[in-house]
Parts: sequence; C-alpha cells; structure tokens
Amino acid sequence: MNNNPGNKSGNYGNNENHDAGSEPVLRIRDLRKIYMQGKIPVPALDGVSFDVNKGEFLSIVGPSGSGKSTLLSMIGLLDRPTEGSVFIDDVEITKAKESEAPRIRREKIGFVFQHFNLLSTFTAMENVDIAMRFTGTPKNKRKERALELLTMVGLGDRIKHKPSELSGGQQQRVAIARALANEPAILLADEPTGAVDTKTREVIVNLLKGLSEKGQTIIVVTHDMDVARQTDRIITMRDGTISGDTGGS
Amino acid sequence: MFDLIIRSLTQRKMRTGLTIFGIALGIFAVVVMGGMSEHMNLVVDKSLKLLANNIQIEPDGTFGGTLDDSKIRQVKRVPGVSDAYGVLVTALDPEGGGGLGGGDMVFGVLPERQLKDASLTSGRYLVPGDGYKAVVGSSIARKFNLKVGDELEMKSKRLQRTSSITNTRNISVVGIMEYTGSFFDNSVQIPLDRAQKFYKMENTVSFIYAEYAPDSDPSEIARRIDLSVEKVKSKSPEQLRKEIESNLMIFGLITISAAVLAAIIGGLSVMNTMLMSVSERTKEFGLLKALGAERKNILFMTMGEAALMGVIGGITGIAAGSVLVHFLNKSFEAQGSALFAITPRLVVIGFLFAISLGIICGTYPAYRATKMSPMEALRYE
Repeated sequence: MNNNPGNKSGNYGNNENHDAGSEPVLRIRDLRKIYMQGKIPVPALDGVSFDVNKGEFLSIVGPSGSGKSTLLSMIGLLDRPTEGSVFIDDVEITKAKESEAPRIRREKIGFVFQHFNLLSTFTAMENVDIAMRFTGTPKNKRKERALELLTMVGLGDRIKHKPSELSGGQQQRVAIARALANEPAILLADEPTGAVDTKTREVIVNLLKGLSEKGQTIIVVTHDMDVARQTDRIITMRDGTISGDTGGS
Repeated sequence: MFDLIIRSLTQRKMRTGLTIFGIALGIFAVVVMGGMSEHMNLVVDKSLKLLANNIQIEPDGTFGGTLDDSKIRQVKRVPGVSDAYGVLVTALDPEGGGGLGGGDMVFGVLPERQLKDASLTSGRYLVPGDGYKAVVGSSIARKFNLKVGDELEMKSKRLQRTSSITNTRNISVVGIMEYTGSFFDNSVQIPLDRAQKFYKMENTVSFIYAEYAPDSDPSEIARRIDLSVEKVKSKSPEQLRKEIESNLMIFGLITISAAVLAAIIGGLSVMNTMLMSVSERTKEFGLLKALGAERKNILFMTMGEAALMGVIGGITGIAAGSVLVHFLNKSFEAQGSALFAITPRLVVIGFLFAISLGIICGTYPAYRATKMSPMEALRYE
C-alpha cells in the first residue's frame, strides 16, 4: 500500500481517510529499520503501517526490544528508516533533507522525555522559552506564550523556579509545556511517567488526556499498562511488527 | 542567543576564569615582547633618518678595529665623493657595557659635521675651537640631571682588557638636544680632536661618512670606495638600512615567536575547556537539537563562547601589557631611555590574534557539539 509521497499539499479527502471529520495527522507506511550488528542484519522494525488521526491519544506498548523506541525516533525524525515512509500533515518527513530536519522537528514534533531533560540552570519559564528561540519568535511573544503554557499545566506560580526546586511531576509538567510551545502537530512522549511515583503518574496522564480533548495529537510510548489503558488506542509491538491495535482499521 | 553564551560561561566561573587568564597571559607576552621589538624598530628608523643619506665606511674585517685618518683623505679622492669626515665612537662608561641600544655613547665629531637635524632644547651646538665641551642627548641629560653649564665626567681605559679606569676628565655641557627617539638621545657629542686626545686614539676614527652628489648612485660610489681604499667596507644608506632591518627582523622573530608560543598555549587551554564543556553538555546539545536547534545555532553558541573568551582574554592581556609597559618605561626613562613602544598596530595584532585563537581553538569542539545526537538526550539517564 504505497501512496504518492510527492503530493503533499491539500490532498485531503483522498483514499487514506478512515472516518468522516478526522484527518490522519500521521501516516506510517511499511516502515522498516535494519541495524547491522557486525555483519548480521537485525531488523528493529519490520514493516509497520498505521494512521493516527488528529486529536487521538495513542499509546504504544511492548516489551524491550520490540521496536517501539525505534518507531518513536523515526516519527520524531531523530533517525532515518531503511525503507518506508512517515507522513506528518501529508508531508513525507522521511524524504526531508538533513538540513530541513531541525525545522520539521520544531514545527511538527514536541518531545517529552522520561527524565524530563530540563536545563538545570534555567528557570521553568526559560526552559519553555528556549524551545521557541529557534523559531525566531520575538522575546515578548515567547514570554507571553511560556507563561500561558505554564499556567495551563498548573505551574503559573512556579515560573521562576529552577528544576532542582521542583518535584518530579512538576518538572515533567514543565517539559510538557515546553513540548507544546511551538504548537506541534504531534506530542511524542517517551515513558513520560517512567521516573515518577504513581500519584504523580495520574497527574501527568490526566494532563495529557486533557490536552488530547482539546485536540492535541499525543503518542505515548510506555511499559506501564495502567497508563496505556487510559489512552484512546493501544498499539502493541512485538519483534518489530504490530501485534495488536485496539483502534486501528 | 548571546545571553545563552554568557550564561554558559558564567555558570563555570572557575574554568572560564582560568581559560581567560591563559589567553590573557599569552596576549600579555605578545604585547610586551612585541612592544620591545616595535620600540627597536622606531629607534632604528629615527636614527637612520638622522644619519642623513651618507655612505658609511667602516673598517673591514672581523676585529672591531679603527680607521686611520689617512683613509679619510683617500675616500675624499674617490670620484663621486664630494666630502668625507670621520667620527670616533666610544662608550661613555667603558665599564658599563653597551647593551641593546641602551648604551650611552661618546661621539667625537667635527663641529662642522655634528648632528644638526635635531634641534636643541637649551644651549648651543659645538663650534670650531671648542675645547672639552659637549652637546648631550635628552636621555643623557635626564639620567645625569644635566643643565647647560654642568660638568659631565668622561672615563677611559687605556686598553680594552684593563680592569680599572685609567683616566677621567670633566667636560662641560654647552647644549642639550631635544628628544629624538633615536640612538642619539644617549649620545654625548664632543669635538673630534678632544675625543682622540682623551682616549689616546690620535689620528683614528671609528667610521667615515662620505657625502656624494645628489644625482649620483650611492651604491655605485660605495663600490668604488671599496675598490680604491684598502681594508674598508662601505655601505650605501640603503644597504645600511637593509642590514639593520634584517638584524632587527631576527630580533623581532625571536621575541615574537616566544610570545606566540605563549599565546598558543593559551589557545590550547581554550580548546581543552571547550572540549570538556561540550562533552559535559552532550545531553544539553542533544536536547536542543531535539527541540529543533539547527547546527548553526549550536555552532554559534559554542564558537561564540570560545571567541568571547578570546576577546575578554585579549582585552585583559593588552590592558595588563600596556600597564606594565607604562610603568617599565617610566622607570627606564628615569635612567635614560624607554624600552617599549605599544603601537596601534601592535594592539590590533594582539586583539585579532586573541579572537582568532579563540575561534580557531573553538572550531573543533563546536563541530563536535553539532554532532551530538538527539537520541542521546532521549535516552540519557
């Protein structure tokens, strides 16, 4: 099932649509990634295809080595597939030149990491601000937006705090605010609750749920079935292929 | 983006400080050593200008030696030479030793041929018939605190190897020259006949200067003098200049290369600092890339850091060098002569050198920084 990759502008309503009213924001077609371990090829992804609609809250689960992290790095344009395509908003990002990758990353993708990855010497405000620096947004606009996002994640009174002065859950909320700063098409979260306690986990999951209800597309990679169960759709990976998809067509 | 650079530097104050200190030290050496060499250049340049455009004739051979008065007559007879005269040069203090342009010299000159391009601040020039009278340079006057009418002691040793002064005599100062920035600031000019008598060197001179018709070729005349007068070596003004300049070049190269070495060590410390900083910040650069930073953003940040350290180090080094040179010159001036000259071009060179050192030594670490994989950030513990 190959479609025409060069056709990227405004071809809504083509054969890829599932149900009326929701457009696929992400389309993955026959994605393969083969790593070479010495001379032995090891397939990490072995023909993965699925669509994600706008506003969907999706989780990808599976054991270690099932290929879920590889899949995530392909979607985030951090790594290139051996074969196959990834389309975001009908743009085939897997065909993008290396020089275009940073622009795609900052405009289409927002990353949330397991270990938050906030800059330790920056305040919460500055940590959100930095994501917008590379887009050339003027300073006052950046400040305004950062304040708005931090207020939204419930940290309006913590904007001057450094990561060391925040709890794990608060740090992850700052990271989510940062990921949303450039209004990405997709929020990619890699084990977002992997480093926090169960109580905090609920806060994070509820926050993500709320965002998805507002129309934000979210993909979460997790080990934690308690987190996966709260998402709209679960894709289960095994040995580089999709072994289960609760919402897929 | 600039605030990020400042931030990263101020975050590691000790390390940044040490690196900047390293560069500053190197540039400091460049400025001080370069200042010495620049001063020499200036002195020689001004001295050559004052020597006028005469052919200089010195004794041929490796021994210092002197020239006989009869050689002057022979030179005068060479076609193309319009006039010739001798000068006797000795050290004012035979026990003091000369040193690099710092030695005080006695010039025995014909009153008609004394240095008149430099004007006097007080007194008069030598006139024919003067006895033990002297016109002294500005540095001599300052060093010995002389005014017109004061007495200056001349000393001589009969033989070069004699250990003690055998003869002393007071001469009275009749004129003081203004500051010229040349060797002549350290000169005492006395009538040639008195110099020859006092130093027991009757009928001898150190150099002969030959004047020539303005439209003739001095190097051709110099060659003619060498051919017709025995045991002399003649140098046209141009040859003299070239010879002195090549000597200065060697002096300059030695001082500057020592200084450049110091500065390169400073540069290596920048590189070391930046490499450490980059490897410590693997996660940060990876994260910035995941957030959509472009290679040029990361290059700008890291190279900017290195360049900024270069700029600050350069300014500090130039400032510290200038201050030191200022005080050294002050103390040397009290003894007679300055030793350093901080010229504008030296400042520019020092500054450019510091910045390029920073940038060049920051390039490789910056390149490494741009190579940081966003994957590292994604999975970093």
